[in-house]
Amino acid sequence: MKTMEEVLKDWEAVIGLEVHCELTKLNTKMFCGCKLEFGAEPNTHTCPVCLGLPGALPVPNKAAIENIVLAGLATNCDIEKHTMFYRKGYMYPDMAKNFQTTQGPKAFCMRGWLDLNVDGKGASERPIMAQLEEGESAENVTRTAEGYTARVGITRIHMEEDAGKMIHMGGGEGRISGATHSLVDYNRAGTPLIELVTEPDLRTPEEARLFMQKLRQIFLALGISDCSMEEGSLRADGNISLRRRGTTQFGTKTELKNINSFKSLHDGLAYEICRQAEVLEEGGIIYQETRHWDPSAKRTIVMRVKETADDYRMFPDPDLAPYDLSDEFIEAVRAKLPELPDQKAARFVESFGLSGYDSRQLVENMATADFFEACMLDADAKLAKPLANLINNDIAALMNADQDFDLASSSLTPARAVALVDLVAKDAISSKQGKEVFAAILEEDKDPAAIVEERGMKQVSDTGAIEAVVDEVLAANPDKVEQYKGGKTGLIGFFVGQCMKAMKGQGNPKLINQMLSQKLEG
Amino acid sequence: MDFACMGVDAIQAGLRAGDFSATEVAQSSLDRIERIDGSVNAFLEVTPELALAKAAEVDKAIAEGTFDQMGPLAGVPVAFKDNMNQIGTHTTCASRMLENYVSPYTATCVQKVIDAGGLPLGKLNMDEFAFGSTTETSAFGTTKNPWGTDRVPGGSSGGSAAAVAAGLATVTLGSDTGGSIRQPASFCGVVGVKPTYGAVSRYGVVAFGSSLDQVGPFARNVRDAALTLNALCGRDPLDCTSQACDFDFTANLDQGVEGMKVGIVPAFLDAEGLDREVRNAVMGAADKLASLGAEIVEIELPNAQAAISAYYVLAPCEAFSNLSRFDSVRYGYCDPGHKDLGGQYEASRAQGFGVEARRRIMLGSYLLSSGVYDKYYYPAQQIRTLITQDYLNAYQKVDVILSPIAPSVAWKFGAVSDPTSMYLADMFTISINIAGNGGMNLPVGLGEDSGMPVGVQLIAPPFKDANMLRAAAALEREYQCVGVAPDFAGEAAVKGGE
Repeated sequence: MKTMEEVLKDWEAVIGLEVHCELTKLNTKMFCGCKLEFGAEPNTHTCPVCLGLPGALPVPNKAAIENIVLAGLATNCDIEKHTMFYRKGYMYPDMAKNFQTTQGPKAFCMRGWLDLNVDGKGASERPIMAQLEEGESAENVTRTAEGYTARVGITRIHMEEDAGKMIHMGGGEGRISGATHSLVDYNRAGTPLIELVTEPDLRTPEEARLFMQKLRQIFLALGISDCSMEEGSLRADGNISLRRRGTTQFGTKTELKNINSFKSLHDGLAYEICRQAEVLEEGGIIYQETRHWDPSAKRTIVMRVKETADDYRMFPDPDLAPYDLSDEFIEAVRAKLPELPDQKAARFVESFGLSGYDSRQLVENMATADFFEACMLDADAKLAKPLANLINNDIAALMNADQDFDLASSSLTPARAVALVDLVAKDAISSKQGKEVFAAILEEDKDPAAIVEERGMKQVSDTGAIEAVVDEVLAANPDKVEQYKGGKTGLIGFFVGQCMKAMKGQGNPKLINQMLSQKLEG
Repeated sequence: MDFACMGVDAIQAGLRAGDFSATEVAQSSLDRIERIDGSVNAFLEVTPELALAKAAEVDKAIAEGTFDQMGPLAGVPVAFKDNMNQIGTHTTCASRMLENYVSPYTATCVQKVIDAGGLPLGKLNMDEFAFGSTTETSAFGTTKNPWGTDRVPGGSSGGSAAAVAAGLATVTLGSDTGGSIRQPASFCGVVGVKPTYGAVSRYGVVAFGSSLDQVGPFARNVRDAALTLNALCGRDPLDCTSQACDFDFTANLDQGVEGMKVGIVPAFLDAEGLDREVRNAVMGAADKLASLGAEIVEIELPNAQAAISAYYVLAPCEAFSNLSRFDSVRYGYCDPGHKDLGGQYEASRAQGFGVEARRRIMLGSYLLSSGVYDKYYYPAQQIRTLITQDYLNAYQKVDVILSPIAPSVAWKFGAVSDPTSMYLADMFTISINIAGNGGMNLPVGLGEDSGMPVGVQLIAPPFKDANMLRAAAALEREYQCVGVAPDFAGEAAVKGGE
């Protein structure tokens, strides 16, 4: 198989996403009063309505509708004031009524968009970038200093209910093949779910990954879901087809279902691009089918072939009157919109002089953005950049390594973080010592000053003391001094190391360097 | 004494006076069902424990002097159509599919009647899932018309109508999707009211056509029906299509019709297939109303003739979807032993549903399928809008409309078997469900040819159901013909039942 970069020179990938997000922050289900709780004893949060018992009727959850309107406003959608719930029929035991209550042609939220900032290596996946100057636009992208921005259309966001959860018994690893029977847990049945459908505007797996990431940041900022891809409260399906560069006709698409991580989304789409290109280049045809990404085998496999379109027999739900949203309701929801990640990043650039890149990284996570803001309440403006670095590098690494790490409740308080970067900025300790103090704060739950004191870590910036050590080291290594003067200037590192060793790592490396150069060159 | 043959006021007067206890009322009613229902087959399940427990509650209230706070139906023998959930009872919808289904909860309408003091005697026979006009599609035997047991009681709430006509209950509840309260009330010579859509909660009533279904009472006089409506109507947080309606339905029963404008639809009276005795009854009622001071106004409902076509698109579509939950997996009839789920679904549904249910499911499934939906469902909704508008236009001119209910009196078993003819018999009732108005049957005597009960339909603007009750009460005073069917009215009935 060719690499994706090679494929994308000849082929254009057309990608659209369908994203399902459970509104996990609500107290109750979509159409009944049952409690929403992940991981409860099976079938303990059920009632006649979510069990689809004869005679039961749905009543819409107004808070859920508030949530979807929030999502729509945050993604630049038009809010439809008059919509209807529809019934989508399909028979399967996880759907208690054998129809899903969803929305019809008009959803609560229509015609939105999000702008993506694509930079770094991922930006080069889009060939058009090579032809654009900064500020120039083509297709749906604009070249920036760091990469490009791409505007991705959102077709709609509609409200629906989740199905129950099936567990297949007796087969291998809960799979249906070979199973002897199945169990159903209806706790999840009726969970309020929003489905967002994008336009086929995405062109690279990186864009798809960034879109999902951005959407997740927004939904987290809105506080409408815990957006856990692992637990399935945020799920993405990717539709992908290829067409020859320069053509406009869509190719046949395949659908990647139930992707549960950003990496899988990226890698699954990248694999599909290569696979489809290989099939097409060999003169084969792509079948419209649903495929499953197997991350361990690093390939997609067929789940089922769609021979004909499913007939869901959709029609307006006669148990639910048309749902009308008043202007007052929409404005009241708009007033509840929090600052969104893009707005926050722009403010960080504006208020603290950070780069766009640093700011975007900070707002990738609500916890890091909040932490940064808490730090900046007491910190000098010139500490903004080192604080951003501390958060985007050290703290982000910590959070990546340990999913359970909770920044807000850790012993690394904003005051301690500020004190730490301040010590380094003032040259009181070296940046290397800074890393040690960072680790010690988390382990010992102490203030940076106390740690520095206890460990006698103070950085020696006294030029007299440094000069004495430098002289000592030069005197002890006359042969190396000769070699240096003979042109082996790389030996500077050796001398710095010797000085640091003599000073037990507490010498100011910048000053040692300066002093050595002075003496050796002089 | 057979208390279930008495009206609400008489029972409550006796209870207040201490002439008899609620327990005696319940017990005598249960005994009467035991004696007589073998020849009527109105009941699918009798619930003596529930009736006697409620009676004990009523007796306690009498003893404690709180009887008058109990509610409008305190001490009154009642029974419910078997598509209404009542916790601990079977709710079969007269279908094999739900033969062994026991309700885990109670419908709002049932709860309200019990809360109002009604003594729940049991569950009543019906057409399977309310699909039918004769109660012949019941999987558990047909109900007989108390006025002639060789005749159908009408349907789908045939059990509810027959139970009242035979004096097996004072008040019963039925549901009406296309005439299923009014038509059996007419066939059995009792009062039957389908209130405005949204007046009574549908929560807990097994759905047929959700946008058409409405619950209402059967009784032997207008006042008893109005008292029951007082207990039934109002907004239910569990049914988002229900609406507040806080008025006393008994308030203007004695007001008369002086100055009221009563509409008649000439096209209905000239309709092909309308029997002479029914037509005469409607004309006679119009004359009576006029003589009482009402103004008779001719009105037009230009789109009403399309109601049956629209109904037989919308109702099967909704029924198909509503009945899709009966899949044999968690409850209901199951044909086990299939290798895959599809096999179990197909066999269980084929065996569990009767022929009329399967016909309507197939029809709905077809009508909603892609490519077909646009051709039928959408135009049917447009017709619905037009018919609704026709009625609203008519209400600009009249306070109530008088019309036939069924083209004929109750026919003999087997006389109508072709489904299309059966569907056409609903022509006078269906447009009211389509428009969502209230409509009711008032018995106006016996047909001059058949000797069977004839009724007239009174139709009211949305949420002005009190208008039709007022007109009906005025007519009722003129006819004074409502009561228990003669064969079941006296001791002779007891013998006949044995």
